[in-house]
Amino acid sequence: MLKSDRFLAYALILPVVAAVLAFVVGPTYNVATLSLTQVVMGQERGFGTLNNFRALWADPVFGLVLKNTAIWILGGTLLCVSVGLGVGAYLAIDSKVTGWLRALILLPWVLPDVVTAMAWKWMLHGQVGIIGQTLESTGLTEGTISFMGDPKLVMWMLVVVLVWRKMPLVALILCAAIRAVPDDQVEAARMDGANAVERFRFVTLPNIAFSLTAVTVISMIWITAEFALPWIMTGGGPANASQIMATYIYQQSFEFFNWGVASAMSVINLVMLVSIVALYLYVNRRSWASEASK
Amino acid sequence: MKNSISRRSFLGTTTAAGAVSMLPLNHARAASGEISVWKFGGTPQEVEQWALRNDAFTSANPDVGLNYSYFNGQIRRQKILAGFQTNRLADVIIAFGQDIPEFAGFGMLQPLDDIAGDKIAEWKERIVPEVFESGMHDGKLYALPTYVDMASFLAINLDAMEEAGFDRPPETWSELREYAKAMTKPDRPGLAFPATTAPVDINIFEGLAYANGGRIFDEESGKVTLNDPGVVDALQFYVDVIADGSTPASTSLTETFFRDTAQLFGQGRSAMWIGLSWLNTPWGVNDDVRWTGVPMPRPDTPTGSFEPVNAIMDGTAMLMVSARSENPEAAVEYLDFWSQDDQLEIWGGQPEIARIPAGKAAWDNAELKEAWPNWVKSYEEGSLFAGAAPMPRFIGVSAIESALGTAIQQAVLGQKTPQEALDEATTAAQAQIDLIRG
Repeated sequence: MLKSDRFLAYALILPVVAAVLAFVVGPTYNVATLSLTQVVMGQERGFGTLNNFRALWADPVFGLVLKNTAIWILGGTLLCVSVGLGVGAYLAIDSKVTGWLRALILLPWVLPDVVTAMAWKWMLHGQVGIIGQTLESTGLTEGTISFMGDPKLVMWMLVVVLVWRKMPLVALILCAAIRAVPDDQVEAARMDGANAVERFRFVTLPNIAFSLTAVTVISMIWITAEFALPWIMTGGGPANASQIMATYIYQQSFEFFNWGVASAMSVINLVMLVSIVALYLYVNRRSWASEASK
Repeated sequence: MKNSISRRSFLGTTTAAGAVSMLPLNHARAASGEISVWKFGGTPQEVEQWALRNDAFTSANPDVGLNYSYFNGQIRRQKILAGFQTNRLADVIIAFGQDIPEFAGFGMLQPLDDIAGDKIAEWKERIVPEVFESGMHDGKLYALPTYVDMASFLAINLDAMEEAGFDRPPETWSELREYAKAMTKPDRPGLAFPATTAPVDINIFEGLAYANGGRIFDEESGKVTLNDPGVVDALQFYVDVIADGSTPASTSLTETFFRDTAQLFGQGRSAMWIGLSWLNTPWGVNDDVRWTGVPMPRPDTPTGSFEPVNAIMDGTAMLMVSARSENPEAAVEYLDFWSQDDQLEIWGGQPEIARIPAGKAAWDNAELKEAWPNWVKSYEEGSLFAGAAPMPRFIGVSAIESALGTAIQQAVLGQKTPQEALDEATTAAQAQIDLIRG
């Protein structure tokens, strides 16, 4: 490579490097230092303390927050990807219906978070919600159900709404990946006597492994960062039954002005996310390796 | 109860606004430059009126450029904190009285004594003393109040009450339980109350607890007192009416906040509901619902360790000048404009009847008397504010109210007894307070 080419290459990547430093590395460093700082009434009172982390471990709500966050991230990702895979496989079939559906399915994804949250909140409301009233009028339940007011149901209902919202894009990405599977491989498997399930398991899945891994990681990051949906629908209630990391960090920062503890939680959140993603990528390293070898 | 805008109200309002816009306010001309104003929360009528009066301010102060923004009341702390941290805080903030100690503690506000010393005497002349006090903190004036809300009040469907054989509203908690049972039908609970974690829902409960001699925090000792018998027994009252079968399902109470509870009452879907002083006035009721609002019945025998109060009150449109203001002179001029009788009469029934007005002159309005005859009578007798205390306000109030909100929900849902829930909430809130206060 010529010297001038090298300068040009550096010049071209410089804006991206600067943006990453300013908007990713900078704030991350800030949060990390704040998590180790005693903050009282907005004033920093000494760096180098683990008090914020100690306060978190002593907080009886934090254990519940971790459990809810696990349901939210792992349950949400698992359902999003598995339902998305099923829907994507159906959409990959060529027909007039699927042609229309491929366009229509994006509707939930393009709606603003606030609109989605408010609409679902009302549909799931115990006294006036259409879902509860329908279940009651069809005789499926004895009375209406307060989906958002029942601590046993609320977390799972949030996951259902999350899947409704996030799944369409996952389905479309996987649909595109499935449609890119070489026809000759599928045909060869059919001629060898493989049924539909076997063709999907042994031909389609290995071919879409790279997309599947990528979309899983992206979904996990999306879901971890999702805040508006749970906050607007439940505010973390009832009785903290739907309090997750994102909502609790927000509450600690902006309602209690407890920035040190909020930063400590953000650090834990980041470490957890990085660990889960790293583990997932390690387990699925073959799919990445095979894609790289192509 | 009537809450539509009468022709007289409409004419009065528009004439007043027009007249104000034409008035040559000599003292206002001293101020000039730009000011930004952030207003948080308010009823639909108030929001509309505020913008209208801002036009009058601009006309009367042509040298002052007014940059006004309105935001939802629930996001005020977040918005104000973010503005403070990024040096983009508005000159004038119109927020809640409960916010004052924390905002002042963070250095976000300027004491008005320092920048508006010459105006304060006139403000005191025009504003009801007890309401004026609600703008004070640590002996200094930080905010100019325009009205206050009181907790707690009871809205009653009069047809349902008479149908159940009662000829007057309940006066004690045990009477209220009896009324609620008698007024309950299979498709209409006798009593509803909001039990989400929304701050207003928690304020409504605090009204009951304070009336029972409870407090949530003891400023002198720095101790959280959520498990005081006054608070525990108030929560036990919630649990008892649920156990009586007089309320919607407990899971419904924890998902229905104050505004939705008001609307369900307005549709005839509950016979009574516990709320703040405005009850259904901001949203109205169906034509076939005949209703009235009364002070919340009192505990039979107060059990708390503190002095029982008649009500707790707080202003939710308090004008404050931020510490970041680059034009405090114009900001004070804006506050002075809002201290004038023409503006304060908005809450005297021209056209707003949902609030307890701060302006002395507003109490002379016929509209207010027609809507709330008992309020006006009490005010004239000097007993309206007797025994009323400010809503909880201190550094860390949100952390304690959040813990209280969780405890209320745990007890309402039957997960814990009131005592267990409030014991845990006390421990959790004390840890938060110690951390926040260092």
